[in-house]
Amino acid sequence: MTTRRGFLASLAAIAACPHPGWADAGSPDFLSAARAPDGSYRLCGLTGAGEVLFDLPMPDRGHAAAAHPERPEAVAFARRPGNFALVIDCREGQVIARLETPENRHFYGHGAFSMGGDLLFTPENDLDTLDGVIGVWDVAAGYRRVGEFPSGGVGPHDVMRLPGSERLVIANGGIATHPDTGRVQLNAPTMRANLAYADPESGPVEVVELDVALRQNSIRHLAMTPSGMVAAAMQWQGSEGEHPPLLFTHEQGQAPRLLSAPEDAHRQMRHYAGSVSVSGDGRELAITSPRGGLLQRFDRDSGAFLGAVALEDVCGVGPDPAGGFFASTGTGVLTRLSSDRPLAEAHTRWAWDNHLVAV
Amino acid sequence: MRQLLLAIALILPLPLSAQTAPELVEDVLSQHVLPGYAALVEETGELATVAEAHCAPGDAALRTAYGEAFDAWMRVSHLTFGPAEEQNRLFALAFWPDSRGVTPRSLSALIEDADPVIETADGFATVSIAARGFFALEFLLYDEAISTMGDDAYRCALVQAITRDIAVTAGAIRDDWETRFAGLMREAGTNDRFQSPEEALRLFFSSLNQGLEFTADLRLGRPLGSYDNPRPERAEARRSGRSLRHVALSVESLGQLAHLLAQRDSGLQADLAQAVEIALERAEQLDDPVFAGVAEPQGRIRVEALQQRVREFRDLVQERLGPELGVAAGFNSLDGD
Repeated sequence: MTTRRGFLASLAAIAACPHPGWADAGSPDFLSAARAPDGSYRLCGLTGAGEVLFDLPMPDRGHAAAAHPERPEAVAFARRPGNFALVIDCREGQVIARLETPENRHFYGHGAFSMGGDLLFTPENDLDTLDGVIGVWDVAAGYRRVGEFPSGGVGPHDVMRLPGSERLVIANGGIATHPDTGRVQLNAPTMRANLAYADPESGPVEVVELDVALRQNSIRHLAMTPSGMVAAAMQWQGSEGEHPPLLFTHEQGQAPRLLSAPEDAHRQMRHYAGSVSVSGDGRELAITSPRGGLLQRFDRDSGAFLGAVALEDVCGVGPDPAGGFFASTGTGVLTRLSSDRPLAEAHTRWAWDNHLVAV
Repeated sequence: MRQLLLAIALILPLPLSAQTAPELVEDVLSQHVLPGYAALVEETGELATVAEAHCAPGDAALRTAYGEAFDAWMRVSHLTFGPAEEQNRLFALAFWPDSRGVTPRSLSALIEDADPVIETADGFATVSIAARGFFALEFLLYDEAISTMGDDAYRCALVQAITRDIAVTAGAIRDDWETRFAGLMREAGTNDRFQSPEEALRLFFSSLNQGLEFTADLRLGRPLGSYDNPRPERAEARRSGRSLRHVALSVESLGQLAHLLAQRDSGLQADLAQAVEIALERAEQLDDPVFAGVAEPQGRIRVEALQQRVREFRDLVQERLGPELGVAAGFNSLDGD
């Protein structure tokens, strides 16, 4: 889909050298939405040392962002069920494009770029059918809407691209909602979450469901190892008396592998994993629970539980360039974790929103 | 300054002893949950009895019994966990919202085929849950098309099957509470289901919070729709004229639950009571039983104002009662996305 145009556009961009890169925006390691002490909402660039390189205004509360693979451009998405996303030039702090969903669609707060950065993909809700779609936007044409394809499920939330491929992986949370009724679930008796792989040209090519007993485990957020192993974090919508795993890993064509801490530690997650990340060295996985105030680590290969760190209102987690994890909280903590101990804490009065997006 | 604080401390009556978590759990069980289900069992039993002799859609005795049983359900409908969750009992009693119109479709299919599956309780328990419970019964009593469709005798038998099934389901939930689930909550900390009394309290808290969101977002939000596209036809139980009544009943019952959970903080208790009173006053003044006014600017503002009052009650619950019960009220933990 428009890859030739994208290719030509990127040639044109190369010809117009020198073209700006993320170094021109100070080389942030992460993007994060936040609420500033004055109550305004911002999109921030952070380093792994906890430095805030830039903070740019947002019209309302954000959620996650997508970083262009080459240019210092970030697409900051409104909090679900928002209808807008801003494309921000992170050097100048300028809004260079504003995305609005077509009528009868809304964003879920996440998005991903194609390999060369010529297309942007955004999980959306079709308000006529309450089925998930992935919107397609042409970057070179000023982020023009050029199409959409089915997400392979209901309530698509996070989306990522497989390394070295144009194939996307989509977390279809399974929960049908409509903005008229806020975030209330409209399909409790029939909900079924899945993880879908899709190609922009042909739509879903593989749909992975967990056991039917886990149909109400809403698959919401994704992380990816360099080799293309997907880690998916879940939020349990079923009985509070059950405590099913909140994390699984998957490689295409294989069976999913469920991971959880021993029961007592697992229950402290309170049925909720808000973010997931692969460590900077690629050897560990982490999930966070703001409800439980807990970050849990797992071994990527063995799946073994490695330990937990208590952090009030923790949700954002990303790969620490030094090897471990970097985490953020709604109480203003940015921290690097190594083994089970916070290494450095840069307390601020900022409320860091759900996700740290690695640049 | 210190002397002043000391003086205040001496004047304020100290509570003899703040309730422990197990005491709060016991109060919610014995004053809210168990009496609520006892009333539901009584009223649904009465409804089934009345339906044996009065099954015509317009029958006044049947409609009264339906209203009283539905009232009793509204008072416990936020207790969606445990016994209500088992075997989908909750949805078997109240399948709503029904955004795809499965209830009228399932009922029409039964009536058109004069399906004999309704003849036995076991058979009826196998029909689509959308054709069971209070909302299915409402269609049979109040919907112009469904209440006149097909054969009178079949519809009569269907009314009787639904009312018997409602009574059986209500009884099953009550029995499960009395023989099993209340015990697990009372003995929290000694069983696997509840590892501590605080866990049981948090479950009551989340029913309270979710009940308020259900009322604000669904009972009021669905008919409100959007300004350009109001949806009065989506109001809950509008055929029997009960939409506003459901909002008031739920706020009242959730207010009682909030009052019991807030016993350790009398200031918070007073603030909660005030929030409930303001919302109920607003409901009383509305004079629009099925939210038909949402399509007109004036009427819409008044329904939105009621929704706002319910949300203020919910904010108080989230921001103050939550932390009191050990539930984080954080930027991310409350966002839940």
